Amino acid sequence: MQVRVKKPLTVDEYAKQGMEMLKYYESGPWPSHVTELKKTKYPIEAYAAGLAAGKTMWAAGSAKIRYVYTGFIARRTRDGKISELHFRVWQPSGYLYSTEKLRKLMDFADKYGLGLLEIAGQQGLMIISIRPEVADEAVDYLRNVVGTDIGATGDTIRELAACVGPALCEFALYDTLEARDRFMTHPKIYEWMSNQLFPFKFKAKFSGCPFDCTRAVHRADFGFIGVWVGAPEVDQELLRKKIEAGEVDPARLAANCPSGAITWDPEKKELKIDGTRCKKSMHCIRAAYPAIKPGKERKIAVVVGGHVKGRFGGKMGKPLAVVNSVEEAMDWVVKTVESWTEYMEKGVVKHKDRIGDFIMKVGFKKYVTEILGLKEEKKPTLHPSLRAGAVLDDEERTMWANWASKLVEEYFGRRP
Amino acid sequence: MTADPVAQRLQKRLPVPYTEWLPELVRRNVGKWVDRRFHGYGIIEHISSTGDRVFTVKVGTPPNFRMSTETMRKFIDIADKLGIGGIKITRNGNLEILTDSLDKAVKIKEEVEKMGFPVGGWGPTLWSINSCTAFLTCTTAVVDAPSITKVLYDHLKPYFTGEVKLPAKLRINVSGCPSSCGGFTSDINIVGHYGDAPTYDPERVKLCLPRSAKALEAGHVPEVAEVCPTGAIKVYGKPDGTVGLDVIRSKCIACGRCRDVCDWMDFDESKIGVAILVGGKASNTGRGSMPSIQVIPWVPAIPPEYREIVAVVKKIIDVWRANAREGERIGDWIARVGMEQFYKLLEIPVTKWNKPVAISGEFGIRQFGPI
Repeated sequence: MQVRVKKPLTVDEYAKQGMEMLKYYESGPWPSHVTELKKTKYPIEAYAAGLAAGKTMWAAGSAKIRYVYTGFIARRTRDGKISELHFRVWQPSGYLYSTEKLRKLMDFADKYGLGLLEIAGQQGLMIISIRPEVADEAVDYLRNVVGTDIGATGDTIRELAACVGPALCEFALYDTLEARDRFMTHPKIYEWMSNQLFPFKFKAKFSGCPFDCTRAVHRADFGFIGVWVGAPEVDQELLRKKIEAGEVDPARLAANCPSGAITWDPEKKELKIDGTRCKKSMHCIRAAYPAIKPGKERKIAVVVGGHVKGRFGGKMGKPLAVVNSVEEAMDWVVKTVESWTEYMEKGVVKHKDRIGDFIMKVGFKKYVTEILGLKEEKKPTLHPSLRAGAVLDDEERTMWANWASKLVEEYFGRRP
Repeated sequence: MTADPVAQRLQKRLPVPYTEWLPELVRRNVGKWVDRRFHGYGIIEHISSTGDRVFTVKVGTPPNFRMSTETMRKFIDIADKLGIGGIKITRNGNLEILTDSLDKAVKIKEEVEKMGFPVGGWGPTLWSINSCTAFLTCTTAVVDAPSITKVLYDHLKPYFTGEVKLPAKLRINVSGCPSSCGGFTSDINIVGHYGDAPTYDPERVKLCLPRSAKALEAGHVPEVAEVCPTGAIKVYGKPDGTVGLDVIRSKCIACGRCRDVCDWMDFDESKIGVAILVGGKASNTGRGSMPSIQVIPWVPAIPPEYREIVAVVKKIIDVWRANAREGERIGDWIARVGMEQFYKLLEIPVTKWNKPVAISGEFGIRQFGPI
């Protein structure tokens, strides 16, 4: 099947039309990315041309920085006109900054870059656009002046996300920030992060409580989620005060507990929570904090093999173990990564197989018992593969277009 | 061999310990937070056992979290002038400016609103719309996620600021292609895709294939074919000794893996569209964490207004608002009423690409049973 070429896919061909289209995005009540881009040296005509052509103008570029094998992404437009370079910059755990440190990062972006940031890239790392000709010098400035470095691109250790944890949240059941610091500086992880030796990316996420603000169950090869054992802790005295003040309704607390673990004794004015049934939904804690708090005995639930971008569709994390500290799981992390790469040499794992794909290929039971040497205790829940996309013929596309146009009429009125 | 001093770059200079990056007031109170109070949408008071208090003002940011240093410096100035010299960037790409009194927090809110930035995104509101970079930098994007995000935000802003109430938290992800860097595991997810099998320019695609058919004899499979999860891409030796490539349309699921590894796989832009997935969540609240399901396989993505996408998203939110209980996120609500009921409310046709699936069992940390 041949592609019909209409106009050559170049920036010059489409930029003018695209710049007109971009004006639309400078109005409207929400802050505009176009307005922001125009305040910088970003080559906005490449973006504009892409929008007008209905095709991205970018292709993989190349850049070399001495002794740096991860952390920068080079792009050039398909016509070779414009090149671009991004630095992924390691951020402190929790992304909480003093303004002094943030100013240093801004100075860096102005001195070596286009004055443009992606303040939280898809992994949470700040991404800063750099002028390719000063990239080498920029690395030194980042290391010696700002006190951080570039990293987390390609088939290696990627960003390790931690929730804000003990720095600003009372729900943190373990120190997610320190855990992330220690994970990053673990000798093996630290050694791996400078090179690209894996079949694909590796991500770990640290959530301090079952709210899972880092979304570890969906998007982490290794997710560490703070939990407690048994029932939440109830301060009956304080709870009675809250009930008298009308802040908490005990009947509703009991009715809305997803675990069905709460009973309210109106005689004794006591709330009982059955720890053997509690699923850690945090419902009562959210409603009655601090009268109801997470239990005192704290653990970390480890889930493995979750990802969005994998060969056989997205997967959710599988239950590995409940441990007392992230350190206890470090051996499993190292063993998993080592066998994942070893299986690539054997030809079982292919390039672009995430750890979830690897576990799928060897089987969860074998992975847990033979590779990690654990007793398999937990069965993962199956779910349909997480994926998007469809191959449709014209008739079906027309059907969906008509279906959507009915809704367009409902919200925008009839097209004149 | 003499050691090259530049080789020290192989030893990454990491920003550890994190405490060195914290504003002073936060550093003093790490691990000491005992309570919080909410002052409307977007202002949260954190109370420490030491009696210290920190107020965070949550600010919405432009699509794809893009910001010029000029704008960022204005926020930093505000954080110094009215705050405690600290800013947090959230996992949802919002900015939180930190201060130590409610008066100052309200002033910060006024200042950033003057700059044209909204405050909100906490509680039963739209927390953020996460967008990948798409046409800004990406090589594989099919649709432009940032402009779709901008249009959605323009229409949904009252849900972010809390002017219009939602039953529960709402997060929206917009991804330009099925790789879904913007994610597709949130409440509502919009994912661009080809709508058809990929095409290719027979000349340019050779850049992704071995030059000679001899290479195939030893069982080597070029990556562009090897990454296909359904075996829809075949490579073969031609009589003239070169290598040819075929896409078997009946096997293709338009996942875009081939284009991830070969820039010269292509698509027909007249057939592209977005799929819409709903019901995913990570948090263990309600029914626990949930996968997301593709409910609408294709609607057209027509810039600049993207009316079809906006209408579908608005409809989903309206139906959810009208039918869900308080505190019920989209996934929890659909789990309660059933996927069929959700399809009925939206009058969604059922095809082989969006068969309603009943999700059984529990995910995330609930797989451990009672801990």
